[in-house]
This record gives sequence, C-alpha cells and structure tokens, in this order.
Amino acid sequence: MPSIPLSYNVRSIRVRWRTTLATVWGVGAVVAVFVMVMSLARGLKATYVQTGDPRNLLVLRSGSTAESSSQITREELARMKYLPGIERDAQGRPMFSPEIIVLIYLDRLNAEGGANVLVRGMGEMGLVVRPSVKLVEGRMFESGRRECVVSRRIANRFANCRIGDSFKAGKGEWTVVGLYEAERSAYESEIWADADEVRAAFGRDFYGSILLRPESEETAARVTKRIESDLALNARVLKETDYYSDQTRSAGPIQFMGGFLAAIMSIGAAFAAMNTMYAAVGARTREIGTLRVLGFKRRSIYLSFLLESVILSGVGGLLGCLASLPLNGVATGTFGWTTFAEIAFEFRITPELLGKGMIFALAMGILGGLLPARMAARKPVLDALKA
Amino acid sequence: MQAIVQIRGLCRAYRQGDIEVVALNNISLDIPEGGFTALMGPSGSGKSTLLHIIAGIDRPTSGSCVVRGVNVAELSETELAGWRNSQIGFIFQTFNLIPVLSAFENVEMPLLLTGLSGAERRAHVEAALELVGLQDRMHHLPRQLSGGQEQRVAIARALVTDPTLIVADEPTGNLDARAAADVLELLTVLNRDAGKTIIMVTHDPKAAGFARRMLHLEKGELLRDEEMRGV
Amino acid sequence: MTAAGFIMRNALRNKRRLLLTVLSVSLSLFLFATLQTALRELTEPQTNAEAALRVITRHRISVATVLPQKYLNRIRQVPGVEAVSQFTWLGGVYQDEKNFFPQFAVDPDTIFKIITEAKVDPLQRAAFERERTACIVGIKTMNRFGWKVGDRITLTSEIWNCSPELVIRGVYSGGIDESNLFFHHDYFDELMDGFGKTGAFWIKVRDEAAIQPVINAIDSSFRNSEAETKTETERAFQLGFISMFGNIQMLIGSISTVVVFTMLLVTASTMSMAIRERMREIAVLKVLGFRGSEIFGLILAESFGLALLGGIVGCGGARLLYSNLDIYTLTQGFFLKFEVTPHILASGLLLAGGLGVLSCLAPAWAGIRMSVLDGLKEVD
Repeated sequence: MPSIPLSYNVRSIRVRWRTTLATVWGVGAVVAVFVMVMSLARGLKATYVQTGDPRNLLVLRSGSTAESSSQITREELARMKYLPGIERDAQGRPMFSPEIIVLIYLDRLNAEGGANVLVRGMGEMGLVVRPSVKLVEGRMFESGRRECVVSRRIANRFANCRIGDSFKAGKGEWTVVGLYEAERSAYESEIWADADEVRAAFGRDFYGSILLRPESEETAARVTKRIESDLALNARVLKETDYYSDQTRSAGPIQFMGGFLAAIMSIGAAFAAMNTMYAAVGARTREIGTLRVLGFKRRSIYLSFLLESVILSGVGGLLGCLASLPLNGVATGTFGWTTFAEIAFEFRITPELLGKGMIFALAMGILGGLLPARMAARKPVLDALKA
Repeated sequence: MQAIVQIRGLCRAYRQGDIEVVALNNISLDIPEGGFTALMGPSGSGKSTLLHIIAGIDRPTSGSCVVRGVNVAELSETELAGWRNSQIGFIFQTFNLIPVLSAFENVEMPLLLTGLSGAERRAHVEAALELVGLQDRMHHLPRQLSGGQEQRVAIARALVTDPTLIVADEPTGNLDARAAADVLELLTVLNRDAGKTIIMVTHDPKAAGFARRMLHLEKGELLRDEEMRGV
Repeated sequence: MTAAGFIMRNALRNKRRLLLTVLSVSLSLFLFATLQTALRELTEPQTNAEAALRVITRHRISVATVLPQKYLNRIRQVPGVEAVSQFTWLGGVYQDEKNFFPQFAVDPDTIFKIITEAKVDPLQRAAFERERTACIVGIKTMNRFGWKVGDRITLTSEIWNCSPELVIRGVYSGGIDESNLFFHHDYFDELMDGFGKTGAFWIKVRDEAAIQPVINAIDSSFRNSEAETKTETERAFQLGFISMFGNIQMLIGSISTVVVFTMLLVTASTMSMAIRERMREIAVLKVLGFRGSEIFGLILAESFGLALLGGIVGCGGARLLYSNLDIYTLTQGFFLKFEVTPHILASGLLLAGGLGVLSCLAPAWAGIRMSVLDGLKEVD
C-alpha cells in the first residue's frame, strides 16, 4: 500500500499554524500540569523512600504505628542496649541511639504563618547510625549545652534557624551550631539535639524509639527475635527503611489530584484536537480527492490524517515536558499527616514521568484524530473534487 | 434625463509587488437615471474596478465619482456602509447568499439595518420575492435552489431596499444559457417597468445585448460608448 | 428573523464544532470550579455565629504540646467564660489507616454547652454523660461506617499509646463539622495511666465583647508558668493549621491559570476558524451595508454566547455533581463539604464570558479590517 509521505503532513501543519497552535498548547498544558503535580507526589514519596539505612532496625512500642505514639522507658532501654548482635564502634560502644521526637512551632522565613517542625532528640550514636548525614556547616551539637543542628532545608524555610541563632522551645533557648544535609531524605525536615536534653526540656520521662545497627543481616533477625520475644519489653522491631517507605501513602491525595486534573484536562484537549483536525479535513477536501485520484487508498488517507494529529499532540507533549522541567529540584514543603509536622521535599521529574506525559499526549492525539481521519477517508472521490 | 452617476477624471492604481498596475486611467462619464448600462471589456480591462468604485466597495486613487450628488470617495468607511445599504443593490457572479439563511431571510438581511418593523420588512421581502417570481420558494435554503433561482433571490435582495442603483458583476457568469436568459429578462423588466437604474459588468456580448447602452473598456481606458435599442 | 436569530444560525452552522468547543470550554470551567472549591474548602474554615464565640487555649510552643489539666479550674473562673472543656486530639485509626476521621477526648458535661449548634437527643446525651466509655458521633461519620447507636468500636491512636474501646451512645447533627467523635477525657486519662494533661481547652465565651478580654485574661494568668498558653479564636486556630499546608494555594492558583489560558486559546482558535471560513460572507454583509461595529457585534455575541454556554454547563455541572455526591465519604474524610458556592459560580461565569469576549477580538478585528474586495476573493 503506498503511503502518503510524512512531509505532506508537516507542511500542512506549517501552513495552518494558527489553528494548530491551540491544539499544541492544549496538549502541552495537560502534559505540563500532569508532570508538575505528579513530580510533587514523586518528590514527597522519594523523600520517604530515601530515608533510613537498610542495615538499621527501629524499635517501637508494640501497637505503635508511629514514633510519635511510641514510648520506651529507661528500664527497657537498659535491657536492650548491650544485647549481643549489635554492632560496636571503634571504642566498643554499641551503635544504638535512643530517640525522642517533639514538635515545635516555627515561623516561616519569607511568608505568613508558620508550621510544626519536628525536633529529634538522639543519643551519642545518632550520627554514627546515619552515615548518609553530612554536617555541611558548623559543628555537631554537644550535650549539656542546649545546642542543636538544623537541616539546611529547614534553615532555608524557617526563621531563627541559622548558625548562631537561637529559638525558644520547651523550657529554654536552643542555639543552632550546625547545619546538615541528608541526601534529600525525611531527615532534612528535622532539627536534632541531645535526647536527654529534649526529654528534660519537654517533660518526657520516656524515649520514643530506638535506632540500632546489628552486626549483619543474620544477627538482625536474632536481635529482632530477642527483643520481640522478651515479655518485659513489649516492643516491636522493624527495618528503618520499611518504617519510612510505609509513609509514602501521604502522597496519595496529591497523586489523586494529578490523575484527576490530567484526566479531565486531557478530554478537553482531545476535543480541541478534534476540532482542529475536523477543520483540517474540511479545508483539504479537494486535496484528499486529488490524492485519491492519484491512487492513494482510503487507508492511506486515514493513516495520514491520524498521523498528523499524533504529530501535533507529540509536539504539544514535548513542549509540556520542557515547560515543566525547570520545576525539577525546586524545594517546597507540606504538612505531613503522620508526623504532624512540615515535611520539606522537592519536585522530582524523572524520565519515566516525562515518558508517561508523552504517552498521555500521544493518546490525546489518537483520540482527537480518529473520527476526523475516518471522515477524510470516507469522502467520495468525486465529492472531494467538486468542493 | 438627469445623470445619476457623474464620473470625472477617475484613476485607480494598484501596487502588485514592485509594479504599479493602472486599472483605471482618467475615466469620465455620466450615467443617466433609469438607464441599463453594460460595462464590457476583456479581463483586466478595469470594468470590475469601475463597478466596485461606483458601488462604494473600492476607492479611486484620484478623481471623483458622484452618485446622486454625493462624492463616494469622500465618505468614511462607516458612512460608506450606510450609504451602500440605502443606495446600492449588488448582484454577484456567485450569488453570495448566506447558506444558513432561507431565501426569505436572505432578502430580509439588508432590511435589518433599516428601522422597519417586522411586519413592514415582511411586506417588502414578499413583494421583492414576488417580483422575481419566487414567492413559492421563500422558505427554501440556498442549497435547495437551482443556480438561476439563487441568482433571482440575490436580485430580490438587491432591490428590496429600493436602492438608487442596482449593480451586477457578471450576473450570468455562473449560470447555464436558460437561467442566464431568465435573469437578464428579469433585469430588463426591472429596468423597463420599475424604472431601476442598472449597471452590469459582463464579458458576454449576448448578455450585454440586453442593455441599452454599452461602454467598452480596455487597459483602463474608455474605448467606446454606444447607445442601443432596447430588446 | 432578528439579529439574535442570525447569530444563533451562525453559531449552529457547524454543530459538531459547536459541541466540541462548548464541551472543551465547559470541561475547563468544571476544573476551574473544582479547583476553586477545593482551595476554598482547604483554606477558608467554615464558620457560623456559634463558632465566632469559641476560643481555643493551647500550649504556646505548638498545637502538639500538651497543657496541665489543672488549668481547667482557673480558666472556668475567668469572667466571660461560659463553658470550658478539655480537648485532646486522639488521632485514632478505626480498623484501617484509610478510615480517618477526627476524634476528641472531651468533658462530657460541658462539650455540648460549647458546640451549642450540635443537636443531640437529650436521652442519648444523658446516656453519653453517664457511661465512662461512651461516645457521641457526628451523623456523617455514623453514615460513613454504617454505625448504629449501641455499636462498640475500638480506635488505635497513632499519637498516643492507647486504644480506646468505645460504645456509641448518641448521634449529633448540625453545626460546621458533623464528622467528629467525642468521648470522655477521664477515660482517655485512665488509658494513659493518669495522664493529667490535655491537648487544649475549648471555651465558649459569653458574647463578642468578651472575646478579647477572655483571651488576654487566660494568657496572662499562665504567663511565666510551667506551660505558657496561647489563646485564639477558633477561626484563627484553624487558619494556623492551614498555614502549615504550605504553598498549596500557589499550586492550585497556578494550575487554574494554566487551565484558563488553555481555554482561552481553544476558544480563540475555534472563533478564528469560524470567522475565517466566513470571511466571504462578512464581505457580503459589508456590501449589503453592515458597518464594522455591527459585524463586530455579531461575532462578539456569538463568541460570548458560546463561551458562556460552556461556562454554564461546566460550573453548573460541577455544582450539580458535587451537591449530589457524598464527597465526605468519597474523599475518605479529606473534604468535609465540597460546595460550589454562588461566589465561585459567578466568578466562573464571569471568567467564561470574559474569555468569550477576549478570544474573538483578534479574529473579529481581522474580519473588520479586511477590505470588501479581498473578502469577496476568498474561496469557501
């Protein structure tokens, strides 16, 4: 079957650029909105997925689903600290960090209002069990001096969080002595200080959770069994990475919004594409007749017009992807339902997401082109020539 | 008879790329009231341009065209539109009826611009359609009519406002011989019995034969002016 | 025939194009109405006359920091305070994490003196007050889970280390939020081993004039104590929560802009298609004596009407759809209500009309400026 050369379509599009602009824009807008909203959900998810070290175990009170509702007493802590199977550092201390989280309310730096920020009190091994965390400015806090370190992201978003600043929280003033980065994980939405100081300042006589590092995968299973079967402990153990990846569900509403917007907008854009294509078919009735007289089959005409619609939407999709790209890496923040605190993250546009956007675009092109292409193919040759 | 159109020293030049094309070169003529004039000449002779200037849809480069004491060249676009509505009835080669409107509505169109009531408009439209013999086709759409019928609707539309001048641009150019004869017959009747002044562009000598005066143009100049006996 | 009739005829000339255009405009306006409603529901807490007389006292540090229960007596004695209740957010889960709804531990004897607009059967209320593990649930949540009075439910808190086992003794309806569950704060304390703390205090103030004095009196009476307080109106409290959502407003705002812009382009392109194929007719109209302004009027009315029709279908459709859907259940409690208000409706229609006008300007201008002769030369 002879097929109509592609250049015919490309030239036709160029001649009718004004009407095609609307289709291209419509498709582009849908793709841009889809990619942007989804990249927000991705960013939020990725933040949780990237948090934690796969080697670490997190101990919570059994029945607790979150660190905030978990309680671990000092007695329980003592029973666990020197369990065999926990990795030791060079000085022989167990890699074991008792932790407590509290929320404080901080004012935003450049905007109205404020938000809850999570303050994590940690043991002396807190940084050792989190090797992904790097202090990028200043130094680590020292216990006994009401000092804290702040993630650079929080420092960029909230008032009084630069090195040398201090803020009031609980009983007393805390001085910021360092800024850290944590490979864009959920840790970057936190402020860290000494666990016992945090407990004292906020009147807690218990810890919330324990983060520990077993020697190996096999010992991890043994440590888990040992803690969970100890009747005096009433604790449950889970992988730190599992705990955080479970929180990806907080991206649900954003993901829903992205899907909803894209679905409705794409129907609208497909209608616009259909309009353009019908007009194109109408305006080229005579050309279609000529092509038929030259010997092209109905199917060639059909494919040619369908292809033209797909080219149009493909261009729109590309433009939409391009328009959304600058958003990649832009920092933002929202309310995290599980922690009740601000969770800072960034828009994340992946090739896969762009690919999905393009699939969306091409689908719109096919949807918008099917009926007009059929109309073009069905025109009787003589009618087409008479027009 | 009094001259209803007085043309003096009329010139019209176009720019076509870098070349200046002279369509009309220093034309002067009078058209008396109640006449039926045919403008003849080969294509490019300037006959259509002359007609367009008389009808107020084109403007001269220099010279004057006075219709019933009004110099058309001096009117603004907006004044010209109102002037056309009341003074000119235009008949096209391709009929140019509005496809979504019925014969009746097409004829009514120019009356919408006048202050006439619905009942008055109806009376005028019906009279005009009766005059062209289409009173039984009033509610047909253009595509349901033959070419000759379409042109007669267009003639009804041209005369419904009772204009000073009826101008026709190749009115038979798209019609077969029968229909063309009918249309020319109708124009003759309008001229003879209703006293309408008609100016018609044509390149068909047979069509021109229906007129009472023939003006021959060539290369923008008036070549011949001949009076003829009515048919 | 009238001018309006002619405009209608023109609009209906290509019915398929008309349908497609109206549908794409209406989809855009449907989205616009949806986004604006979502924004409103998220950022403008509902309020009423009763709510305006309520204030909330919380810990100065954050809403998540607790206050000593013993503050209750001192607050009660502040002049202008009519009723006060402890108020602790349980953050509990019923069976599955998806089943989220608000639950509060409160003082059973005063809570309905504070939310005076909530209607409860007096017998149910008495039963609720009598029984330590009783709870009263809003009608929306009752319907959502298909609960009946007398049902037993267990909630597992994600914040506190407790799992209250409750029996439903009553249902309330009316007021802003019909989804809450209220249970005894005493029972909560017991589960928490004599907790002695409360998340906040919910206070009913006598009249509007007393609001500011009450706020000042409470906060100054606890200044320099172990736990300083921050007292604010219910609305201010809710707005504080909203500001924690971050720049959601900007996000929704920018999406709306994209949607509106797209719509403008689609309408404009349709209008220019419609006008371009009619250039010859426009020239004929000019020959018949129509002025530029009259031709502009015809085109404008067509474009305006088309966009407005899309607006009515889109915004009206959104209103009709959302008022017949149980949004509360569908969104699993994320949106309490989803009302396309008359204000949103009006701004949607205004937008549609404005876009109709705007989108025909360029093609109409081209039509008016075109000379009659050029127009007559156009082939169909």
